[in-house]
Amino acid sequence: MSLLRLVDLSTDIALRRGTVHALDQVNLEVRQGETLGIVGESGSGKTMTVLSIMGLLPPGGQVVGGQILFDGRDLRSLPAEELRRVRGVEMGMVFQDPLTSLNPTMRIGAQVAEPLRVHQGLSKAEARERAIEILRRVGMPRPDKIVDNYPHQLSGGMRQRVVIAMALIRSPRLLIADEPTTALDVTTQRQILELIDDLREEFKMAVILVTHDLGVIASRADRVAVMYAGRVVETATTAELFRSPRHRYTQALMNALPESATDGRLYSIPGLPPDLSRPLTGCRFAPRCRFATDECRTTDVRLITDVAAAAEARSTVDAAQAHQFACLHPVTEAVAIAGSAAAPRAVTGKADTILSVRELVKEYEAGGDGFGRSPGRVSAVAGVSFDVKAGETLGIVGESGCGKSTVGRLVAGLETPTGGQIVIDGTDIAGLDRRARHSMHRQVQLMFQDSYAAMNPRMRIDAILAEPLEIQQVGDSAARRNRISQLLDQVGLSRRALERYPHEFSGGQLQRIGLARSLALEPRLIVADEPVSALDVSIQAQVLNLMRDLQTELGLSYVFISHDLSVVDYMADRIGVMYLGKLVEVGPAREVVRAARHPYTQALIDAVPSPDPSHSPGPSTAIRGELPSAVNPPTGCRFRTRCPLAQDICATEPPLQGGAHQVACHFPLRQESVA
Amino acid sequence: MARYLLMRLGQALVIVILVTLITFVILHFLPGGAARAILGKEATLEQIAAFNHEMGYDRPLWEQYALYLQRLVRGDLGYSFQLNQSVAEAIGQRLPKTMLLSLASTLLAVVVAIPLGVVQAVRRNKWPDYTINAASLLAYATPIFFMGLMMIILFSQVWPILPPEAPQGFTLAEVLGDPAGLVLPTLTLAILTVAVYSRYVRSSMVDNLNENYVRTARSKGLSEGRVIVGHTLRNGLFPVITLLGMYLPALFSGALVVERLFNYPGMGLLFWQSALKRDYPILLGVTLLISVATVLGALVADVLYAAVDPRVRLKAGRS
Amino acid sequence: MTTTTSVQEDEAPVRAMWRQGLEVFCENRLALVGVAIFALLAAFSFLGPIFYHTDQVHTDLAKVFLSPGTAGHPLGTDGVGYDQLGRLMVGGQTSIVVGLAAGLLATVVGTVWGAIAGFAGGWADAVMMRVVDAMMSIPALFLFMLMASIVTPTVPMLIVIIGAFAWLGPARLVRGEALTLRTREYVMAMRGMGGTGGRAVRRHIIPNAIGTVTVNATFQIADAILYVAYLSFLGLGVPPPAANWGGMLSDGLSDTFSGHWWLLYPPGIAIILIVLAFNFIGDGLRDVFEVRLRRR
Repeated sequence: MSLLRLVDLSTDIALRRGTVHALDQVNLEVRQGETLGIVGESGSGKTMTVLSIMGLLPPGGQVVGGQILFDGRDLRSLPAEELRRVRGVEMGMVFQDPLTSLNPTMRIGAQVAEPLRVHQGLSKAEARERAIEILRRVGMPRPDKIVDNYPHQLSGGMRQRVVIAMALIRSPRLLIADEPTTALDVTTQRQILELIDDLREEFKMAVILVTHDLGVIASRADRVAVMYAGRVVETATTAELFRSPRHRYTQALMNALPESATDGRLYSIPGLPPDLSRPLTGCRFAPRCRFATDECRTTDVRLITDVAAAAEARSTVDAAQAHQFACLHPVTEAVAIAGSAAAPRAVTGKADTILSVRELVKEYEAGGDGFGRSPGRVSAVAGVSFDVKAGETLGIVGESGCGKSTVGRLVAGLETPTGGQIVIDGTDIAGLDRRARHSMHRQVQLMFQDSYAAMNPRMRIDAILAEPLEIQQVGDSAARRNRISQLLDQVGLSRRALERYPHEFSGGQLQRIGLARSLALEPRLIVADEPVSALDVSIQAQVLNLMRDLQTELGLSYVFISHDLSVVDYMADRIGVMYLGKLVEVGPAREVVRAARHPYTQALIDAVPSPDPSHSPGPSTAIRGELPSAVNPPTGCRFRTRCPLAQDICATEPPLQGGAHQVACHFPLRQESVA
Repeated sequence: MARYLLMRLGQALVIVILVTLITFVILHFLPGGAARAILGKEATLEQIAAFNHEMGYDRPLWEQYALYLQRLVRGDLGYSFQLNQSVAEAIGQRLPKTMLLSLASTLLAVVVAIPLGVVQAVRRNKWPDYTINAASLLAYATPIFFMGLMMIILFSQVWPILPPEAPQGFTLAEVLGDPAGLVLPTLTLAILTVAVYSRYVRSSMVDNLNENYVRTARSKGLSEGRVIVGHTLRNGLFPVITLLGMYLPALFSGALVVERLFNYPGMGLLFWQSALKRDYPILLGVTLLISVATVLGALVADVLYAAVDPRVRLKAGRS
Repeated sequence: MTTTTSVQEDEAPVRAMWRQGLEVFCENRLALVGVAIFALLAAFSFLGPIFYHTDQVHTDLAKVFLSPGTAGHPLGTDGVGYDQLGRLMVGGQTSIVVGLAAGLLATVVGTVWGAIAGFAGGWADAVMMRVVDAMMSIPALFLFMLMASIVTPTVPMLIVIIGAFAWLGPARLVRGEALTLRTREYVMAMRGMGGTGGRAVRRHIIPNAIGTVTVNATFQIADAILYVAYLSFLGLGVPPPAANWGGMLSDGLSDTFSGHWWLLYPPGIAIILIVLAFNFIGDGLRDVFEVRLRRR
């Protein structure tokens, strides 16, 4: 039976200029003991839905219509006192950012046990006992010590466990997790998602899992609701939805995933989601939909039940399990996520080496306070070597703190290495004088994750794009103007952009402008540091396609840095995997992803949730424990402290060895496959 | 923590030494030189020469500075020929009274400003916020002596319940014996302080109310009162401790004006009288002392802040 | 080739940044009120004497303490026979000029000092900022009085004295701003193109720090006007026949109890109004510099 039912829920958010209709008649149902996944891109209303349920809307936000039926009672009609009790005892919520969701000046134990103290009147000592108990249950090491700690003493993953413990201590009947792992690394994400799964069974509660990540949904949810522009556009069981999505938006979203790329191109949804503060008619996806007709733009399309599927299902399950969608021209053909990524593009083996990095080392002083000696040196990059050929993309993956961004900044000449060589097009940049170093910047350009932060907010786009040309004194002003217009054409933006300021653009458009700026000097190599990590899937596809098109057209090389293995898999010809400042494995993309040789790479691959429900999470090679400090990294193989295969010999450093597919491990998982 | 304390102490010491350097420089660039400034216009050349020799003012500058420091360390702030009394003694008589006024008004201001700021933050952009904000802006824009005069007109003329003049007692005990006379000066000084503090409390509380942890607290089904008192208040008020230290110079400046208006015989009044008489030993002595008090006050506030806020405490403890 | 996807055209008209800023400023009603108050007071002080002639140099002991409304003296006269309305105009000139000049002087000196400290870093920064700390620990009024007791306060002297010690706040502010701006990603991006430190300062750091400095300058002006009032009250203002609102107000204090209210309230209200005006303008400018950079 249903635990929570939303009936025509509408929520408005009043802003200084106008009102945003964040939710428009949302209907949802959560059944006891099941996990409902809500998936959508930013601005789709998925977070607003759960905040409406919890009564935690931001200032100006208000539920303006519909019902929130929890256990048959409409929460909107309950008195405030009772409402607080229901939300505090029967529901629990886990938030996106564990770093800021805890009170920084309150001890962990006091925060975790607070609901019990307030709603059940437990004594301080009892509450502490219960807090220790639940912390142990969520897998916290030494809970009796942690209980007296403050949040900033714990890592992100540990803090998220604390937030989960806080939600669970009241034994809620409904757990709401809003992007619970988005701020965490994949290996930690896996640990947290597994924890939520286990606890759901143990506590017999229902879970609402809100995420933008189709992979997370596919592997963890029983049923899925897809949201777009403040509405639920499709809902079905997970298996059904991924097997045969009916709404054109769902289909487009799945096709835009790097995993489903066919013949080297991603399907990308054109345009941007609609502005919800304006009146909208018809299907909200119609302006971006290939299949839209005039009817779509004028009629209000409601959720309808898939008749065929319902008839088939009626005998076994009730209507709530039915596949519903709001689309006039639903998908009829079968869509399957093509389990294989981009076909490897043929990079001629004899292409020139454009970048050659040898034994690169970068160390920083650790937290010096300017008073006395500093406690040590952070070893950010420790002896990394790789080559990039002309026209090739080298992907570098790794979790936060592995040194991948530092490698990018070193290659781009933004920092000077502590040791080692960076040879660009045959010249070692360490040995260059100022003038030569200045012109070296023409060869290598950087593309940033957050292009907005990387653009001076007080400069117009024309000035931003002209800056590299001015610095390198390329051409006169007329020539520069021509070049800028040409660049805008290349990245698919209109000339009108020239007179605007960065804040007037969306994230995807800014990323295009950022790419245009990196191209201005006609570099041979672009270092792209997490260029699509801040973008939604549909926009991400636009930018990735653009990057690939320009690569073919201009013969560019990329060093593509990302934490996201599937994006790197799609983009890169070869992949290097970094762990704690070391390159542990490097080889052709296909082989690294499908025949990993290093245990860490394998753990990383296993941790990535696959957007294919039939693909069961692999055997638990998930690594445990926390990333060691880079101030005093483990000797020898830096991964050995967390490695399931570690032996005594791992205390001596394994060299990076092999042919095309190299690995730095004493006990590689596989022999190199002979091509 | 010990390391942080040591570092902060060292910094304060450097600042104090710099302040002595400033007063030393001023003393030596006074019109007619230090001796004439100290002895007065009527001093003869012989007197000046004798004085210069006695004070070591005929030696090289760095030696003079060393001597100056030496005297300061011994507590010798100089001698006022106009008051015919040592500067230390003159200040010692008046310092407690200024401290009393400053402390009382600060205490009052804190007690009033915190609830005001909290109410503003909780009801932000509603009428209580606007009203309090308008009042504090008005208080800020009003010269403090004009404000004090309004108070005198209101409470001593229109509705005569308080004396318009501060207690004239010579000792602290005598001053405390006339508490009614202290009310208006304290109130006047406090009003300006409230205006500054409440704005600060408001913005600090607003920042904290927008933090994610407040949402987490609400998700536990806590009442709004418990969210504010149990979670936000503490985090919002910690920074106010540093404000107490930072605001000290302005407080002393305010005290100077208030003491003059109410004729309160504290250090400010002494300073004012000395300024009109060009009594430089007193002027420099008071300046030095009040600056040291400011530096120490800021130091205490910083250390206190580090001691109560676990984020700072533990970070300082580790490094 | 061009991209395969068309990017949605933004229909919003292209507008220059100053126009966008002006709109935000105008949205803040109080800021407009502030501008109006300042304009009125400035017109009153500087244009008023053209239409309303009075003798503000020679005393007229036959006409002391005339009540408002007396023929020829709409606001009465003061203790030495100066026409109060005309005196308010002359006093306003001094207050506004000293406030503006001292506030701007403090801003300029502070900006230069803070910028040098922020860019130089290391030892230079440490020494320069300790000097600021040391001077800041001396309460401003004490310092002003000390200086005013050494030199005779004339209008230019007042400007120099106030300007010479009010720069500490802006110096701290600008240094902090320089330190943060230096690490911004767009400065890093520029270095990635081979740009120099000089270009970073010229094209990126100064244009972005200007907002903070401008906002602070308006508050400096308000504070400077108050300082002039305090110095006058403490007997160290400009000597007569020159006048300023602060001096008139403190002279008026002694007349309070003799019922000469017209000598007290007009200058008091004038000071409050102009200080409020600059605070309102500052708040409005802050909106401009902060809001327009916020993403949609």
